[in-house]
Amino acid sequence: MLALAPLVFPTYGMTLLTEALILGVFAMSLDLTVGYTRLISFGHAAAYGFGAYACGWLLLHTPLPMVAAIPLAALLAGVVAIGVAWVCTQATGVSFSMLTLAFAQLLYAVAYKWTSVTGGSDGLAGIPRRPGPLGLHVFVSRNGFYYLVLIVLFGAFLFCRALVRSPFGAVLRGIRDNEAKTLALGYNTRGYKIAVVALSYGLGALAGALYAPFAGFANTELLFWLLSGQVLIMVIVGGAGTLIGPILGAVFFLTVEHQLSNYTEAWGLFFGLIFIAFVIFAPEGIWGLIRARFVRRSAVEPEFRRGVARAR
Amino acid sequence: MGLLAFFVTQSLNALSQAALLFFLGVGLTLIFGIMRIVNFAHGTFYMLGAFVGYSAARLTGSFWLALALAPLAVGIVGALFELGILRRLYRRDESAFLMVTFGLALVLTELIRLGWGPEALQVEAPSVFSGIVFVLGEPFPTYRLFLAGAGILVALAIWQFLERTRLGLLIRATSQNAEMVHALGIDVNLVRSAVFGIGCGLAGVGGVLAAPLVTASIGMAAEMIIDAFVIVIIGGMGSFPGSLLGAVLVAFVQVFGEYYLPDLALAFMYLVMLLVLVVRPGGLLGKEA
Repeated sequence: MLALAPLVFPTYGMTLLTEALILGVFAMSLDLTVGYTRLISFGHAAAYGFGAYACGWLLLHTPLPMVAAIPLAALLAGVVAIGVAWVCTQATGVSFSMLTLAFAQLLYAVAYKWTSVTGGSDGLAGIPRRPGPLGLHVFVSRNGFYYLVLIVLFGAFLFCRALVRSPFGAVLRGIRDNEAKTLALGYNTRGYKIAVVALSYGLGALAGALYAPFAGFANTELLFWLLSGQVLIMVIVGGAGTLIGPILGAVFFLTVEHQLSNYTEAWGLFFGLIFIAFVIFAPEGIWGLIRARFVRRSAVEPEFRRGVARAR
Repeated sequence: MGLLAFFVTQSLNALSQAALLFFLGVGLTLIFGIMRIVNFAHGTFYMLGAFVGYSAARLTGSFWLALALAPLAVGIVGALFELGILRRLYRRDESAFLMVTFGLALVLTELIRLGWGPEALQVEAPSVFSGIVFVLGEPFPTYRLFLAGAGILVALAIWQFLERTRLGLLIRATSQNAEMVHALGIDVNLVRSAVFGIGCGLAGVGGVLAAPLVTASIGMAAEMIIDAFVIVIIGGMGSFPGSLLGAVLVAFVQVFGEYYLPDLALAFMYLVMLLVLVVRPGGLLGKEA
């Protein structure tokens, strides 16, 4: 259905949808840690920004084509993230959130000051959508780029679904619901946590790497803590502990923001009220609402609810 | 300028900065200690204090009256938010609080913009403190000296309040074991409302006091909130002396870092935070997490 979108939406709508789906990949990557492992990362902007800067730098300073620069940037981020994950997973609970925040802000500060590589407060501008290899041009145009994003989103979704359904995913949920028990069962929970945090950062960087050639620039805002807060809200509004939910959350977030800012200067007011209403009246998010309406039984959700109950 | 004079004036400068950070940080840390809430709207309450302070100062013609009234108003707004919204959520996980306080920050910011307009508003320092004093022969703004003094006074007052009063006792007890306090027949919810109100009110004090220095503007919340988080994290979430230590440490790193290593000052602050967290995940004076 999404593949037909370019036939229906106007130009402006396509740009918005493309950005929303990029953020969808980003939000989904965060949910691997937040929803499935209950590691609340508050520095996920680090992944997004790192991916965007790395991909932008590769496109500006190397002859690599876009379709190679994007996965390379994500891979690089994933490798760096292993070290970050190793440090952050030494802590649990709020301390984990704060460590991830510290790393993200550190990266922000570095990007802000390391002008020769990052362009400082101006950021990297004029990032090209370089075609190739072998004269492959299809992804360069607006709609072509949309399909590239769609392919990545679909691929990332299948990957995450396979991951959370695998024995690996079962251990993650075990950590979420009762880490001590999972450890007692003989699983090296620390190792699993490092793996999932690094994977989550890598996927988040993939989204950021898509953003760089999409927008044509990368700036420090992509590393700022505000984005970390926003993506967390996308996950929660959409429905944490599911894969579809965060994507819906991202689309919802961006659409409402754009629509409201068309109608009123004070869009932040209504935006804020919507969040508060969601927390109070729809704690399981958009996807939770949809499921409650159309699907009687669900496999993941009651489990997640129990996880939440225990976390109290 | 002599080296000694330089160090003394810069240190005073850092102390005045620490005072402002402390007004935010102490509220954040008290609220976290009692409710396990990371209050995202805290910077917005600080900003609200500055704007209400501006209006109060204009209406009454007195900065001192504004300094008394504005924090009270901000505290009441905070307490009402706790009563109306947060209270429904105590049985939910921390992500719920993250979202409502984030939402509140958006709503309050927009209401402030609607109420006071988008322009930065100048607040006059009280005439006693608007001049310059000479410290070891170097000129230094009196108002900054007053800020540092006010910070020390308020820190002492809060310390005495926590140690000597019944409410202070209840706050300390609730932060250690809310269930036990509840079992002893104390209305824990009332303690929570009070702490949230007091914490927001203290942010309001910070806002009023900061206004003559930086003007009351829409951007002031975003500027301060992350610094306030950093000091609370470094000091230890939930620890009152920790917030004081964190504020002084961060202010000194900022002021002296800006002078000696202007390129690295920003990164240095986060590096300190990272180091502290790696060595002591609960913060310098916090409980082990």
